[in-house]
Amino acid sequence: MISPFFAVVKKELTSVLRDRTIVISILIQLFLASFSSGLLLGMLSLYDPDTILRFSDGGFRIAVVADADSPLASLMSRRGLNVISFSTLQEAQDAYYRGEVLALVDVPRNVNGLTEVKLYLPESDTISSLIRMVIQEPLKQYENYLREQKGVNIRYADLQGKPATSFEFMYSALIPMLMFFPAFVAGSMSIDMITEEVEGKTLQTLLSAPLTISGMIGAKITAAVTLAVAQCMAWLALLRTNGTEIKNIFWIVALALIIAGISSTTAAMTAALLQDRERSQFIFSLLLLAGVGISTMLKISPITTLSRLAVGDAYTSGWNVLAFASAFVILFWMLLRVSRRLLK
Amino acid sequence: MNQVFVIAWREITRLRKRFSGGASPLAALALLAVLGLSAYTLRDSVSLGNGLYRAGVSGDVPVIDDSRFSILTVTLEDGRALLADGAIDVLIVDSQVFAREDDKSQFALRALKQYMEEFELQRVSSSFVDEEAFPLRVGVNYLGGQQPPAGSEPQTVKPEEIIIPSITPPPAPFTQVLVALIYILPITFISIFFTSSFMDEKANRRLTILLSAPVTPFQIILGKMLPYAVFALSTTVLIASLTDANIPLALAIFAPTTMFIFAIYLMVPLFYRTFKDTTFISMLVTTLTTAYLVFPAMFTNTSDLAYISPLTLAVKMYRLEPFGWREYLLPSLPMTAIFGFAMFAGTRLLNEEFLMGYKPLTCKLADAIYLMMAHSRPWFAVTLWSFLVIPAVYMAQVVMLAFATNLPVRLILAAVLFASAFIEELVKTVGIIVLAQRGVIRTVREALWLSFLSALGFLIGEKLLVFVSVSVVSEAQVSGALFESGIFLLIPLTAHFIFVSVVNLLRIKLKFPYWLALGIGTIFHFIYNAVILRGGA
Repeated sequence: MISPFFAVVKKELTSVLRDRTIVISILIQLFLASFSSGLLLGMLSLYDPDTILRFSDGGFRIAVVADADSPLASLMSRRGLNVISFSTLQEAQDAYYRGEVLALVDVPRNVNGLTEVKLYLPESDTISSLIRMVIQEPLKQYENYLREQKGVNIRYADLQGKPATSFEFMYSALIPMLMFFPAFVAGSMSIDMITEEVEGKTLQTLLSAPLTISGMIGAKITAAVTLAVAQCMAWLALLRTNGTEIKNIFWIVALALIIAGISSTTAAMTAALLQDRERSQFIFSLLLLAGVGISTMLKISPITTLSRLAVGDAYTSGWNVLAFASAFVILFWMLLRVSRRLLK
Repeated sequence: MNQVFVIAWREITRLRKRFSGGASPLAALALLAVLGLSAYTLRDSVSLGNGLYRAGVSGDVPVIDDSRFSILTVTLEDGRALLADGAIDVLIVDSQVFAREDDKSQFALRALKQYMEEFELQRVSSSFVDEEAFPLRVGVNYLGGQQPPAGSEPQTVKPEEIIIPSITPPPAPFTQVLVALIYILPITFISIFFTSSFMDEKANRRLTILLSAPVTPFQIILGKMLPYAVFALSTTVLIASLTDANIPLALAIFAPTTMFIFAIYLMVPLFYRTFKDTTFISMLVTTLTTAYLVFPAMFTNTSDLAYISPLTLAVKMYRLEPFGWREYLLPSLPMTAIFGFAMFAGTRLLNEEFLMGYKPLTCKLADAIYLMMAHSRPWFAVTLWSFLVIPAVYMAQVVMLAFATNLPVRLILAAVLFASAFIEELVKTVGIIVLAQRGVIRTVREALWLSFLSALGFLIGEKLLVFVSVSVVSEAQVSGALFESGIFLLIPLTAHFIFVSVVNLLRIKLKFPYWLALGIGTIFHFIYNAVILRGGA
């Protein structure tokens, strides 16, 4: 029993390595990772005021035409903008056309009980949208100031903190993506391996070897999961070398393994029921999406569990991982019942 | 034309048979319903950073309904202890917030700030009259380029836009890009079925019968594509009408995209050898096309280069901003050109010997290129090849740019230049190398002559593309750098010729391995590009 089992595992693994298809899979992951972090970087440098201000180095010279006691100018300079005061709009405008300032903010005035500020920006899309982004925060603070003047109190207005987008992206998107994408590939691969035997009519030949149908499917799933786990470990090693701190490595690998198992078991079950690649892959993709949707709705998402393990959440431990393991066991038992259909 | 419809009808019957009977249509429907439901319930609640933070609350604190936070109700003393232990990241006591100095706690604080800002805004707007809740109006104006005479009002170029700072939508076109992506999703799904159809025929050997029937490969491909294309375009119409978009405009924007995606998926069944191949190739293709479509569109209105992607046009459509013909053609022409190229390749490759061959992928590619070239005299085939692959090169370079943005700033340009030099050398020489391998080219003179023609074809295509893009993209330095828009055509032509000849002679005459010959050619090309850029700057 054992040796034909490993023979099938070995056959599948060598075929993947020989066809170089696994290279494509790794390429995709590399691409996804670098594409999404590239996108994030691009978005941050174009749309995140903190990042823009850090790189501008006091380069945002804004002319303000205002009374000395208006708080708007001081809010703006506290935000890191280079504020230059003018007493009339005309002088400010002259400075703009001499290229001394990038934008003008006209004196706040009262219009029907509302305060009105006029902002004059350059016509260029890029520069004006940057200015609009960095001036947003002081304008909001000024708005809060005006609210307080009218007796409207905003709570929690003085919170600061550090910009969290990169952190959130790393732990809630990038690491789960790198850990679970191989699981998704493992599922698709299981379908390919099984339906290929069915559609190529080689299943009977394979079963004439001393190997049961469950043994055959088990071997194929083992091959798929092995590949997935190897990829996950490689990614974890790379992330560590890159200086990303990841906690609970053992449980993360265990979770990746279990999810790869769940994914390939589900896939194998679809393949056993439908017996052709076209429908199996389609239904499997839908099942996967539905699984992600439902588990997120029920707040037992493996993605969240993985993020929490990676940041070292105090209330997440191996027990959470074991919950998924029990789901895996049940699914695998169901697969064993279903797999007999392949013999018909 | 009649045959095309016959094949199209046969395709519909095949699909109907496959998905009728058994439990699969029911399962698909049930799953789609679950998907719709979960997408509906999760549409607002899922964000970046799901479940990352824990907050302790004590006393009178607003309900924190944010998927990033898990909430613990604590007493003041417990809360302080938990915060010090690192078990919670922030502690909220009435209207006071406590955090630690470390990064994670500070990140949580920023996330809390974002949530509270939103929450307080809603509270204020529902419990106070408008002019107390929103006392500030900002009039945004854009100044003209000419200074008006002294004493007059500032000269503005667009009508004034009045905004309330706290409720201005964010400038990043996230939402619109997501909506635009909704169009792409069904197109991709449908084209996967289109791919499956070919694979099915191939597995059952029915394609052989079809190929021996009196229909051309072109008619077969067109007929098989027709039902799926109609289906894809009707989903576009459906989505456009559901999202209140301009239907003809949406069709005009997404028809070239649909053609492009189908073109790419046509290649999958032609090249696969095992089922696993198909899965991996499809995944790669999906990732690359998504990157190509999404990446530029995220920079709508901040860079004209965004027009490389048709999604930018869709974003503009949803923002009700106008765009012109040139902006429309910049993404659409290359996509349509790729479609044409893929159809041509498809008709050449759709024969039994090619489809059934099990060889390494590189050999298969070489076979494919040979089949595409063998239709006419080498001099014509080589020139045409170099000319026709331009859109593909252009797209590959865009994807590469997206890829390179992760690198340290100083490396980005160098990496992109190197990679594009590599791609250019590859496409310019690969045809000649393949012809030489099959013994079509024998002498050095022939190789040199074809190298010249390849360089010429490439240059003409390249200049045409630069001409189209420069008229749209004002920041043309980047595309100029990618496509070396030198003023004197003679210099780039000579340069191209030299690089191509170097690679070809190294490979054909001196029997260097292709990758090595290509590497050497690329280095020459890279140095040339770097010198040109430095001279230009």
